[in-house]
Amino acid sequence: MNKKEVFKLAKGFRGRAKNCIRIARERVEKALQYSYRDRRNKKRDMRSLWIQRINAGTRQHGVNYGNFMHGLMKENIQLNRKVLSEISMHEPYSFKALVDVSHSAFPGNKAAAAPKKEGLAVLL
Amino acid sequence: MAMALTTSSSLFISKYSPSSSSPSPRTTPFLGFSLSASTNKPSLQSNRLFYICCQDKSSAIPAEQQWMFDDLTGPDVWNKTWYPKAKDHIPTSKTWYIVDASDKILGRLASTIAIHIRGKNLATYTPSVDMGAHVIVVNAEKVAISGKKRTQKLYRRHSGTPGGMKVETFDQLQKRIPERIIEHAVRGMLPKGRLGRSLFTHLKVYTGPDHPHEAQQPKELPIRDKRITKQT
Repeated sequence: MNKKEVFKLAKGFRGRAKNCIRIARERVEKALQYSYRDRRNKKRDMRSLWIQRINAGTRQHGVNYGNFMHGLMKENIQLNRKVLSEISMHEPYSFKALVDVSHSAFPGNKAAAAPKKEGLAVLL
Repeated sequence: MAMALTTSSSLFISKYSPSSSSPSPRTTPFLGFSLSASTNKPSLQSNRLFYICCQDKSSAIPAEQQWMFDDLTGPDVWNKTWYPKAKDHIPTSKTWYIVDASDKILGRLASTIAIHIRGKNLATYTPSVDMGAHVIVVNAEKVAISGKKRTQKLYRRHSGTPGGMKVETFDQLQKRIPERIIEHAVRGMLPKGRLGRSLFTHLKVYTGPDHPHEAQQPKELPIRDKRITKQT
């Protein structure tokens, strides 16, 4: 790249990195490397954000993310996490319906394992 | 040039689709109308029919299906992840919570407080934006702690100069500055950084049952942890 292209890409950089070619060239190279890496990281970060939002939304209804997704998989509901997070934010009643569907399909493991404590209940 | 091409393709669709729907069995799986209009045309224009971007939506959807795609003028809500605007987190309209710290286990209480301050209990959680609530803690000197931590838990601080480490136990700090115990616990659970420091200012800790925030009408903090009260 010639100097003109480097300075065009170095707009907004801090200090000498936007004005002096030797420093700008290094910083621009690094910036392009970061942007290559982050185009791949962005997909991971977005999915993580959707999962956090879905988790918050389902916990308001007493179900956690893991059990919720397991219930949806059992019912073969193929909505992806992006759409589920948008539904949890903008369509709360529809989301409650989805949580109810998932809960009826998979109420959680503790519901099945609770009766086992009969023998130990004497100690409590 | 691009606009002229799309408008001409839309004219062709509206002209050909009613007459050619019955004889030709080739219908597209997405749009559901026949491709016979586009087979006469060069492949460039048939590709344009399936490429729907936000601006061209109204021209690529056939007239009888436009009722299914409403609100083509605004931003794309379903395909772009929502990011809060300034009006979604106005500081004056944040919720205020109040919690009484007497006989509550320190760490479990601090964890619940940090979750509400950060906003992780909301479906609109965003890591880069302060979407959380304010929390008031009263009766801070009565916070409970299990085991022998009352005499054994150490709070350290360093002044920066050599030999400047100061150590005190939980008991001593509680006699000196009781609010600092809960503040220290919650600060360790909030993110460290510029946003974390501003989140920390949303925590208000007071000794005794009074607080000056009656005007904010604080609600009771919903606690879901079953083991938060001290078991005697």
